[in-house]
Amino acid sequence: MMTKDRLLAVLERWEPVIGLEIHTELTSTRTKMFCGCPVAFGGEPNTRVCPVCLGLPGALPVPNAYAIEQTVLAGLATGCEIARRSLFHRKQYFYPDMPKDYQISQYDLPFCAGGEVTVEIAGEAASQRKEGGVDEERRVRLTDVGYNARIGITRIHLEEDTGKMVHVGGSEGRLAGATKSLVDFNRAGTPLIELVTEPDIRTPAEARAFAQKLRLIWLTLGISDCNMEEGSMRVDANVSLRRRGESEFGTKTEIKNMNSFKSLHDGLAYEIVRQAEVLESGGRVVQETRHFDAGAKRTSATRSKEEAHDYRYFPEPDMVPFEFDDEFIERVRARLPELPDARKMRFVEEWGLPPHDASVIASDLEMAEFFEAAVNIGGPERAKAVSNVMLNDLSAHLNARGIALSESRIVPSMVVELVELVEAATISSKQAKEVFADMAETGDSPAAIVEIKGMRQVSDTGAIEAVVTRILDENPNKVEEYRAGKTGLIGFFVGQVMREMGGQANPKVVNEVLARMLEG
Amino acid sequence: MTVDLSALTAPEIRAAILRGDLSAREVADGAFARIEACDDRVRAFNEVTRELAYASADRVDDMVRSGASPEELPPLAGVPVAFKDNMNLIGTRTTCSSRILANHESVYDCTAVARLIKAGGVPVGKLNMDEFAFGSSTENSAFGPTHNPWDLERVPGGSSGGSAAAVSAGMATITLGSDTGGSIRQPGAFCGVVAMKPTYGRVSRYGCVAFASSLDQIGPFSKSVEECALALNAICGKDPMDATSVDRPHEDFTRDLERGASGLRIGVVTDMLDMEGVAPEVKSATMAAAELFAALGAEVGEVELPSARYGLSAYYIIGPAEASSNLARFDGIRYGHRVADAKDVLDLYMRSRAEGFGPEAIRRIMLGTYALSAGYYDAYYGQAQKARTVIIRDFERAFADHDVLLTPTSPTTAFRIGEKSADPLAMYLSDVYTIPVNLAGNCAVSVPVGLGDDSELPVGIQLIGTHFAEGVVLRAARALERAVAFDVTPPLVRELQARA
Repeated sequence: MMTKDRLLAVLERWEPVIGLEIHTELTSTRTKMFCGCPVAFGGEPNTRVCPVCLGLPGALPVPNAYAIEQTVLAGLATGCEIARRSLFHRKQYFYPDMPKDYQISQYDLPFCAGGEVTVEIAGEAASQRKEGGVDEERRVRLTDVGYNARIGITRIHLEEDTGKMVHVGGSEGRLAGATKSLVDFNRAGTPLIELVTEPDIRTPAEARAFAQKLRLIWLTLGISDCNMEEGSMRVDANVSLRRRGESEFGTKTEIKNMNSFKSLHDGLAYEIVRQAEVLESGGRVVQETRHFDAGAKRTSATRSKEEAHDYRYFPEPDMVPFEFDDEFIERVRARLPELPDARKMRFVEEWGLPPHDASVIASDLEMAEFFEAAVNIGGPERAKAVSNVMLNDLSAHLNARGIALSESRIVPSMVVELVELVEAATISSKQAKEVFADMAETGDSPAAIVEIKGMRQVSDTGAIEAVVTRILDENPNKVEEYRAGKTGLIGFFVGQVMREMGGQANPKVVNEVLARMLEG
Repeated sequence: MTVDLSALTAPEIRAAILRGDLSAREVADGAFARIEACDDRVRAFNEVTRELAYASADRVDDMVRSGASPEELPPLAGVPVAFKDNMNLIGTRTTCSSRILANHESVYDCTAVARLIKAGGVPVGKLNMDEFAFGSSTENSAFGPTHNPWDLERVPGGSSGGSAAAVSAGMATITLGSDTGGSIRQPGAFCGVVAMKPTYGRVSRYGCVAFASSLDQIGPFSKSVEECALALNAICGKDPMDATSVDRPHEDFTRDLERGASGLRIGVVTDMLDMEGVAPEVKSATMAAAELFAALGAEVGEVELPSARYGLSAYYIIGPAEASSNLARFDGIRYGHRVADAKDVLDLYMRSRAEGFGPEAIRRIMLGTYALSAGYYDAYYGQAQKARTVIIRDFERAFADHDVLLTPTSPTTAFRIGEKSADPLAMYLSDVYTIPVNLAGNCAVSVPVGLGDDSELPVGIQLIGTHFAEGVVLRAARALERAVAFDVTPPLVRELQARA
């Protein structure tokens, strides 16, 4: 049985309970969390380091105020309460990539707590949701295309990232078989926010949608580049199963190393099926951390045995607690840009986009910004036509090339111009597709392409009549048949006329003229 | 002629250099001559930094040669200074008197150190200490104990024993130590020098290897209160590298020194004087100091700090808890001692640390780790923080109607080397008067008032001020210093002077 079908079968019997932990580096801060070293990706190892982020004897951390503000911004954007009093704690454990052998993190007083994000699940993804969950009434609202699910945010806290280990001599840089390990501290001390969700997620598709939605919010806020491949956004998932209708949680496993949204979905799908098989064969799920292998599409228990860690959290004594007043919180709130949900509503209510189209465009920051720019140029009355070009021709083009919108040659004014050419009947919508392909290739303006290629559509009734007369003359038998009632032949005549006119005739006019002259 | 640092104060050195009577290099040589003459017996120095000293001294001499005005010459120009070996200084090793850092070379400067040098100080070396500042006798040094210049059989106190002994023996004019529970004041008292722990936040901790972050504070040692004030002038002030350092308007701590004690409200902390283990000679010296203040026109009253007695217990939770965390970084990965043949990373951690740390460090790491463990946190660390809050309230009440509180600095005078090393609890009692001040974050200075009636060793009196009241504390200290007119020269120095 296909994995997908197995998953759907398992989901009939079992309800997954999923919570996510999403780490995001605040790449928007110029400097690290507790020192002045620059925040960047890669580079020669150990070149962006100082006594503080190397944990040299005597060095002290000084908190980055901007990173704290960005965290508060993230909290406000996800409906969290902002703590009036907050502080850092030390999370203590030994690991070579952690310079101080404790991580400055937060414990019982995170900057943000108690938020909520709604995700829209549409189409096939919605089929993963099955009836029989105990809290579906609270969690889910059905829509025309699927459903919306409310996902609670437990907390968002701020901490420092660790360095990176490079294992030499083993296979693929992993620890197993390595002869030595090197540490690069360039990343150490990068501000990192950790968002923890409530266990409100019930399907791999919801988990993926949540992570995508969160990425979109973070990108809209501009707090991070959210590059999953470079690790600036990292998603870990906790998942357990329970029988449909039950409210008790089962034993959970934690899945790590899911470096893309697809991996997140597939990792959870695999793990759900695996747990169901364990449970249905009378076994018990072992609480453990499992590593997702995107190539093999499976999870495996991490080699190191899971110990019950005692992190010995205690308040960071190198800093004083933070007190946030209303003025500060309101000042940060004033920085909030329009968020994706609000943007989508505006597309629907002000610009008349169908909700689904608005969702698709608003869920991609580049698409949304492109769309806004195009509508600003072409006017709200062209919004629908612009969105059609974007959702069809543009999306297909980007998918075919595997490129981002910003990497293509298409700019908003080109799409508006194309829409206007169709609107003015200068070209047909069929011709528009050709023009689009051309402009995507060359970056030329649609008008220029139409000009160069002589693609102007002929709407001149006289010219069309001349051609129609000739075609009718050349096909007297067909004309007879048509007049005898075989009206389906109209298509034949249209095709003949269009071919004769090199496809440039306005089909609407051709149809009108043909109908009139055939009747006569 | 060799310069005798025991016979000169910092302002006298500066004045002589300015007049051209002495060069900074000659003064530095005076320090080195004394180090050579007696440090094989005192063992205050872990490292002597001739090159650094000459570089600083030459800068001062160049300034004088090029006609610097008295205003241009920095306030401590040419003054030999030295630093407890937990403070970073480029060009030196910063060992914390521990095997684990025995070869650790500083790659950056401690802020207070850099400030003292910028103020004209000539760095002559790094000073012995109890390993990572864990101790009250400087016996817990991986490099062997420092000896008290008043009696070489005795400890200089600790943990900044090297800093106290170096000033006492005239091997440096001003030294810096760090004080977490008394580590500046108690050795100051044992060696008969002036020693101050400033208010928490007054002096940047950046670059001083942390023992307990919420308690540590850097402060000066000197032969006189005036030099103490000058040193504090040089090292205090907000540092962007230390989030707990406090931004305050500039003060000149020498300004009120000669105003006398008249009108000061001084509270003798009587309930702490009656504690077990207080030597009669210390108690009588304390009462004598109180009477002196009264005679000088101060309003002397009695005050109680009923919770201060819990300070020791709270301190031995909070201190080790923070220390266990602060010392985690000494793991053999990036610097410091590392076993050569580790079979895996856990083995590397465990054996490097076991070999690198001495017994007292291991004891405190274990204590602190235990106190922060799941299930014990509330009973130990949480409870200790509550006790700390109560002690802070006690001090606030006491300072509501007193400017300065008066206690002994330590219950006894200097004890013999080895006398208490087998009994950590007895050793810990040595800091019973000083610890509450760290817990409350107040400032305090230890002033030598004379020799004990029985031991004939220096006795120190602790004068405590509320937060950022260093000015008034130093004024009281100066009044006491002038009244007792104690000659701080130890027998060792007299002997050397006689020979010269």
